Order: sequence, then structure tokens, then C-alpha cells
Amino acid sequence: MDPTTAETVLEQPLLALEHVSRMYGEEVVVFALRDVSLRIMAGEFISIVGPSGSGKSTMLGLLGLLDLPSAGKVRVAGQDVSRLDDATRSRVRGDSIGFVFQQFHLIPHLSALGNVETALLYRDMRPRQRREKAYDALEQLGLGARVDHRPVQMSGGEQQRVALARAIVTDPLMVLADEPTGALDSANAAHVLEIFQNLQTPERAVVMVTHDMTVANTAARRISMRDGEIVADELLAGSAA
Amino acid sequence: MSQARDLIGVALNGLTARKSRTLMIMLGPIIGVAAMVCAIGLTESAKGQLQSQLAQLGTNLIIAQAGGTFGSQNPTFPANAVARVEAVSSVTGAAATANLSNVVSVPVLGAKSYYEAFPVPVRAAGVGLPSVLQVPVTSGRWLDLADLRLHTRAAVLGEGIAKQYGYLPGEARTISLNNANFAVVGVLGPVTLDPELDNAVFVTEWSAQHVLGTNGEPNQLYIRAVPGTTTATANAVHTAISLGGSNQVSTQIPSDVLQAAAQANKTLQQVAFLAGLLALIVGGVGIANVMSISVIQRSSEIGIRRAVGHSRSKIAGQFLLESLFVGLLGGLIGAALGVGIVYGVSAISGWVVVIDYKTIPLWMGLALIVAVVAGLFPSIKASRLEPLETLRLG
Repeated sequence: MDPTTAETVLEQPLLALEHVSRMYGEEVVVFALRDVSLRIMAGEFISIVGPSGSGKSTMLGLLGLLDLPSAGKVRVAGQDVSRLDDATRSRVRGDSIGFVFQQFHLIPHLSALGNVETALLYRDMRPRQRREKAYDALEQLGLGARVDHRPVQMSGGEQQRVALARAIVTDPLMVLADEPTGALDSANAAHVLEIFQNLQTPERAVVMVTHDMTVANTAARRISMRDGEIVADELLAGSAA
Repeated sequence: MSQARDLIGVALNGLTARKSRTLMIMLGPIIGVAAMVCAIGLTESAKGQLQSQLAQLGTNLIIAQAGGTFGSQNPTFPANAVARVEAVSSVTGAAATANLSNVVSVPVLGAKSYYEAFPVPVRAAGVGLPSVLQVPVTSGRWLDLADLRLHTRAAVLGEGIAKQYGYLPGEARTISLNNANFAVVGVLGPVTLDPELDNAVFVTEWSAQHVLGTNGEPNQLYIRAVPGTTTATANAVHTAISLGGSNQVSTQIPSDVLQAAAQANKTLQQVAFLAGLLALIVGGVGIANVMSISVIQRSSEIGIRRAVGHSRSKIAGQFLLESLFVGLLGGLIGAALGVGIVYGVSAISGWVVVIDYKTIPLWMGLALIVAVVAGLFPSIKASRLEPLETLRLG
């Protein structure tokens, strides 16, 4: 490989927001996010913090390709995804981003295995291969014996681990978590945070949105938001990463 | 191909996960298709019964009634009316009967006063009557030429009167007609085309004239025509009997009544079919309603699926496919239910089952179309849900 190209690839962020704004309303325009730029590199463990209304959710929606910017560009591996059609953007989202939510958001009528398999659907994969991959992800998170259990039959910690398995089963570039420990007791929260730290690899970034500073401080980089803008972007010394 | 398989799997999973809801929305297509299959099947089976009766009895029987001249009472035909009618080339057979008024038939001693109050019609009949009617004698024999020649006092009972008299097959029974004893020699089978004959006692024309003291002139003729010429023959009978004289004749073709009944069933069929169609459309509205509610209830699931990379078209496809399966399965169950009902009712009513199986896929297809159209709006609604709103991030 040409060394220049190799260097370019290495320097290329996994995901980047370039002067992104997100506005709501027509007559009275409200800025949820105002001219934000952010580069997320492979191997980073980032926390995004800020009070309610600071623009965390909007940022999460844009980073997760669930929303489109009113202005600016969102790039995934260098590709501007803002102008892609829904089917292509959905495929990029499915391939590049794994989500973990505060309320776990598992599909109640599916088993743990079925929930993890959901992320592998429509990928021209044989059902057997899909099941094996989902099973491996669950086993990696210590849920090998719970694959047939439905969400109601599992504890909060176990449900969040199923959600984590669903997030990583596609081997995404970035795991995006929204208050991942918000609905857990302290023991389970600590366990889930430990898993998060292990999810971070040299090829993958982990981004966590939280209002809990203790959780935020486990990350290597902390981004603070206020009134739709990034007010601080700092590297944390002595973090686990 | 594998994406289509995945989509089918997801849709089936969605339906089997909520069995009672699925069954509820399936009721529309089930009832609609069952009603349509029943509407056609039951009316056709009932009509089939009438048609088989018609085929058995023929549509070429004419009944001619003496109309008499204006103002005359108890009008009769001329004594040689049968010969006159048989002279018409399209007539294959004719037999006469004469109503014998003022003759009281008493089956057993002691019942005279009852039968005087409620007299049983007594008729003088020709020997060819059963063959013209194409009705068998169910017990014993009919009046024959020997009875005429030997002047026997023989009587034959109609099917209904035999039951009323408690007559047992083969029984040697003597009945009294105006105090003259007559031997019951047989029972005439049921006459579907003229049920009045079932409640009559038949004697020979000789007995009518010489034992019972009536003039025995016929007032009713039963005529068989060459098939296909029934109406023309009925018209010719008028001329043949009156021969330019003053005799008035009214004719009727009794099979027309059965055909009219079959026609009436056609109207019933149309009404029942429309009711089925209405049930199907109402069922479609039900599917649309329940699916719309389901989309709201499953908004979180939709958000999750969108987050893990399922596109809007996949979400719409999932819900549309669920509707399609509801229509398909509902149509299948409805068709099976309809066929079952047709068989059940036909078995109870003694009908021959007539089901046009070729039309059933048509009704099922209709159910499918209704279900898909009903599912279209909720599917589009599901695909347009914003995952950010349904997942409540932050």
C-alpha cells in the first residue's frame, strides 16, 4: 500500500460532524445543535456530558444516523451520509453503528437470541450462520445459558448485556450508548461499564452519552455540551482506557 | 432471496407473537370468505335439490283444469277429453280425474261423523294416471282394466291419506264410500308436481258412475308432452278440448313453480353474497384499525429495528406482509369453514352438496386484496415513524 494512502486512512476519523446544525420549527426556529464539529477516531472511548436540553440527544441522533442535520455534513469513514437515501443510510447505520439504550429496548416477544439476530437480518446471511453469530456474541457476554429467555425472564443487567451483544454482533465501527447504566443498580452498572471498556478496540470507538460524571470520567475523552454547542473537549488523565 | 426469507420470518414472528390479536383481525376475512362460500354453496345445493327433482319429474307435465262456461258450477270436460288431447301429436300420454263431490269416505266404523265434517276428496281416475304422473305405486297396485271390466269396488289411497287412515302396506282394508264398501288395493306414491293428489282417494270411473251415482265426467287432465314442446302443447290442449265449443280450459305447467323457486333462490344467493362481501369489507376496516393501533403499540420495536439498520421499506414490508398473511390464512380458514357449513347443512337438509371449487380461490383472492389494501396505510405509517421519537433518547 502507498504509505501516504495508509497514513490518510489511519488519520481518517471513523465518524465526523462538520459544522453541523440542527434546527426545529418553521416560524420560530430553535437550534438544538449549532455549528458543531467533532471527529471520532478509531480506538477512542468518548463520553458526552451535559445538562438536559444541552443537545446530547440531538447529537446522539446525528452520530447514530437516525436524524439528518439541517446544515453541515456527517461523514462515516469519509463518506458524507447526509444526502444518502434511506435504504443506503440504514445499511451504513446497520454496518457501522451499534446502539445501546438506557431502557435496553429489546423486542419483548423475541428471545435473547432473536433480539441479537434482529441486527443481522437482511444481510444475505443463512439463518444458521446468523444464529451462530448471535450465539457467539451472547456467550462472549456470559449469556450462553440464557439464549432462549425472553426479556421479561431476565434481570436488568442481563437485558443490558443482551442489548450489548446486539450492538457488537455486527462488528460495528462505533458503539453508541445512551445512558447505558441509567437503569441499573450500582453492581450491574459497574459490570456493564467494565464491558464497555473491553468493547473498545484499536479499530472501534465507543461513545457514551451520560449525565453521570462518574460514568463519564471512565472515558478517555470527555465532551461537554451546553445550549447546543460543545463547550469543552478534554482528554482525561488516569481513565481506564 | 434471503432478504425476502428474512422479511417473511419477521412478519410471521410478529403474527405468532400475538396470537389472540392475530386471530381477532383474521375474523374479518374468515367470516367474509365463509359467508361468500356459504351463500353460493347453500343456495346452489338447495337449487341442486330442486333441479334433481325437476330432472326426475320432468318439465313436460301439463295440468288442464275445466273452466266451464260462464256461470256454470262444477265445470267438467267432455267424456272423451282424454282421446281429444291424445290426438295432439306432441302429447305422449294423458289421464283424467274427476272430483266426486258429496262422496264421503270413511276408513273405519264410528268415524263417519268426523269425515262428514272434514271430507276427504274422492276422485275418479283413469288407469293411466300413475304412468302419466311418473309416480310409482308404493304399496299394492293401481286401478286397472280388470277393475273396469269386472266392476270391482277397488280404491287406491294417496300417500297422505294412507298415513291419515293408518293404512299399513299390504293390509286388507275395506273403506266405506257413501256407505258402499271398497277394498283398498294400493297406495300412490307422493306426487310432487301436484301434492293435492296425495290427499285423495281414487276409484274407477265405473264405480264413480254406477256405485257412487255421480256423472263421472272429468274435470282435471294430466298430460305429458314431448320434452321441449310443453308450452306449445299446453296451448294446443285448449283447442283440442273445446273444438270450437264453449268448453273453457285453464292449463298450468307445475314444473314452472319449481323453476320459479330455484329463481327465488338466486335472489337469496345474491343477497347472501353481498352480505359476505360486506363482512369482508368491514373485516378490512377492522384489519386497518387493529394494525394502526398495533403500529402505535409497537413503535418501540419499529424504532429498534430502524436503529439496527432496517430501512423504511423493510418496516413497511414487514407490516404489509403481516396483513397479507392475515388475509391469506383468514381466507383459507374461511373457505374451509364455508365448505364445512355447506356440507353440514346439506347433510341435515338431505341436499346434494354443490360447491363450485373453482370460485373459492377467487373469494380468497378478494380477502387477500382487502387485507393488503387495509394494511397499506398502517404499513406506511409504521415506516414513517421517527426512531428518535420512539426510542426517547437522552
